[in-house]
Amino acid sequence: MPEATIPAEFEVYRFDPAKDRAPRYQRYSLDLAPHTPVLSALLRIRAEQDPTLTLRYSCRSAICGSCAMQVNSKSRLACETQIGPEMERHGTIVVEPMRNQPVLRDLVVDQAPFWQQYEGIEPHLILDPQHPMPEGRATSMTPAQVERFKETPRCIACAACYSACPAVSADPGFPGPMALAKLYRFVVDPRDTAARARLVRIQPNGLWLCLRCHLCTEACPKDVRPSERIRDLKELAIAEQGGTENGSRHAVGFKENIRDRGLLSEMKIVRQTSGVLGLASQAGQGIRIWRKKPEILKRPPPIEGLDELEKIYEALDTPPKEGS
Amino acid sequence: MRLAYYPGCVAQESGKELDMATRWVCRALGIELAEFPNFSCCGSGFVDEANEVLNVAINARNLAIAERAGLDVLTICSTCQGMLTLANVRLRDPAVKGRVDGALKPLGIEYRGSVRVKHLLKVLTEDVGLPALKAKVVRPLGGLKVGAFYGCHLLRPADEMGSESAEEPHAFEDLLDALGATPVLYRGRVMCCGFPIQFVKPETAQRIAATQIDDAKAHGADAMATPCPLCHISLDSFQNKAARTVGHALDLPIFHLPQVVGLALGASPDELGLPRHLVPTDAALAKIGTRAVA
Repeated sequence: MPEATIPAEFEVYRFDPAKDRAPRYQRYSLDLAPHTPVLSALLRIRAEQDPTLTLRYSCRSAICGSCAMQVNSKSRLACETQIGPEMERHGTIVVEPMRNQPVLRDLVVDQAPFWQQYEGIEPHLILDPQHPMPEGRATSMTPAQVERFKETPRCIACAACYSACPAVSADPGFPGPMALAKLYRFVVDPRDTAARARLVRIQPNGLWLCLRCHLCTEACPKDVRPSERIRDLKELAIAEQGGTENGSRHAVGFKENIRDRGLLSEMKIVRQTSGVLGLASQAGQGIRIWRKKPEILKRPPPIEGLDELEKIYEALDTPPKEGS
Repeated sequence: MRLAYYPGCVAQESGKELDMATRWVCRALGIELAEFPNFSCCGSGFVDEANEVLNVAINARNLAIAERAGLDVLTICSTCQGMLTLANVRLRDPAVKGRVDGALKPLGIEYRGSVRVKHLLKVLTEDVGLPALKAKVVRPLGGLKVGAFYGCHLLRPADEMGSESAEEPHAFEDLLDALGATPVLYRGRVMCCGFPIQFVKPETAQRIAATQIDDAKAHGADAMATPCPLCHISLDSFQNKAARTVGHALDLPIFHLPQVVGLALGASPDELGLPRHLVPTDAALAKIGTRAVA
C-alpha cells in the first residue's frame, strides 16, 4: 500500500543575477509522502510546475555532495532531508542556496571560493624526492596510523560546512572547516614530509579564526566532525611551535593561568594574547569596561588544592618541541 | 534541591552580576548552592586546544570534587557546561581514561563518572519545572520581546552535549514564555557570538556579534538574553566596538539568563547587577515597569 501523502508547502529562493534586481521566494504546493527527500520534491516541482527552477544534483544517494542547500536555514544535502519532519517542525519548507558562496542562479552557487581554499592547503601527499617509497609499498601504513584520520576521508566535499561557518561569513580569508579538516589529514599522514611546514604556514593563515562553534560538525552529512579535526590541528600546531599567534598565545596563556592560580585572570590573559602593545590599543575599551566592572583588574586568589593541579600538569603537560 | 555550584571564572570577575542574579534566583526557588573553593577553571575550550587530555584531567578533578560530595554540578555558563560535559564524554575512551586516572590516582583523586552536569537553564526548565516557576512570577515580563541566545557549547556537538536539539532548541523560549515575556525566534539564536576570537581577530569577532544582534533586532527583539557570560562579554561589553566595526548603531540590551528570571520573580534591577552592564537596560526595564536606582 502506498504511503499516505501530506500537503507540503515550499518557499524556494529564486534569483537570476542577470535579470533580477533582488531575490524572491516562490511558493509551491504539492502532496507528498512524508519520506520524500527534499531533492525529489524539487525535481517534481521542476518537472510538473516550473521548468525554470535551477538546482544542482547528481547521485541522489548522499554520495556525490552536489545537492547541498539550506533547508529551513540548515545546510543539508537535499537528497537525504525528508519533507515530513521539516513540515512538522516548521509548517513550511524554505529552500535556499548555500551561504558564503555567490549565487549563480536560484539554488546553484559558485563554489569557487570553497575550492580555492581547498587548493590552498595543497590537498595531496608531499613526498620526499630524495627518499622515494619502496616499490609496491607506496601506501603502506599501520592500522593505528590510519586510525588517526579515519573520519576525514569520508568527506564528500559538499561544502555544507563551509556554508554553515560563521567565521567564513565574517572573514572570507578563513580557509573554512573542510579545508582545515583535510589539512589535518595530511599533517598526520606518516607518508607526508611537509607536516611541519604545513603547520607553520596555516597558523598565520586562518587556523586560529575557528570559533569552535561546532556548526560545521552539525552540518556535516558524513560525520567528519571538522571542528574536532581543527582542534586536533591546533594542538599539533602548539606542540610544534608553542604560542606564536594571538590564537595560540591565548590557548597557551589560558593553560598557564590555570596552572598558576586555578582560575583565569581576565586582564592577564588579554595581555598574554595581545602583548603589551595590543593591550595598550585596547586601553580605551578596557577603561570603559573597568568603570562598570572594576573586578577586571583584580587577580583572583589561588584556588584551594592548587598543588593538585600542578601535579596534574607535571603528569600530562609536556613542553613544546625543542628549537621552536 | 542541592547542587554543587560551579560559577566559572567570569561570574567571579567581570561578570559578577551573573553570580549575583544566580544566587538571588536560587534563593527564591529554594535551590541550595554548595560551594567548593577548590573548583578550578574549566579551560574554556582554550586548554582543550592546547592539550586535550590535560583539559579532561582538569575537569575530571572538578567533577571528582562534586562526586565526593554526592552532588550534581550546576553551571551558569555555556562553555563551562560544554567543557565539563566533554570531560564526561571523553572519559568513555579507555585510552583517555587511562592517562587521566594515571595523573589523578597518585593524588588520591578518583572520578567514577557519576556526576551529571546541569546548566541553570536545564535546572529551571526540567528540575524546578515551568509550572512551578510560573507560580512564583510576581512581575510578568508582559510586552517585553526577548531573543534567546543559547551559546554554542550548550548545544553543540549535540551528540556529545546531550542537548535537546542543536538546531531547533526551545527550552529558553519556553522559559521566557513562562515568565510572561514574548520570545523572539531568529536564526542567530543558535549561532556563535564571536567571543573565542575576540582577542585573536577582534573585528571578525565583532562582525559576528553584530550579525546576531542585528538579526534579533530585525525580528523585533527589545533585548537578548544569554545563558553564557562569554556571549555576554561579546554582545554587551564589546557591543560598542561591534557597532563601530559594522558602522551602525546596535543599542540592544543583553540580559543574563537569571536576570530575566529574577526580574519576573520580583528582584530589583540593582539586586541583579543590571547597572553593571555596558549597554543600558533602562528602555527594556521601563517596558516591564521597573528601573535601576544605581
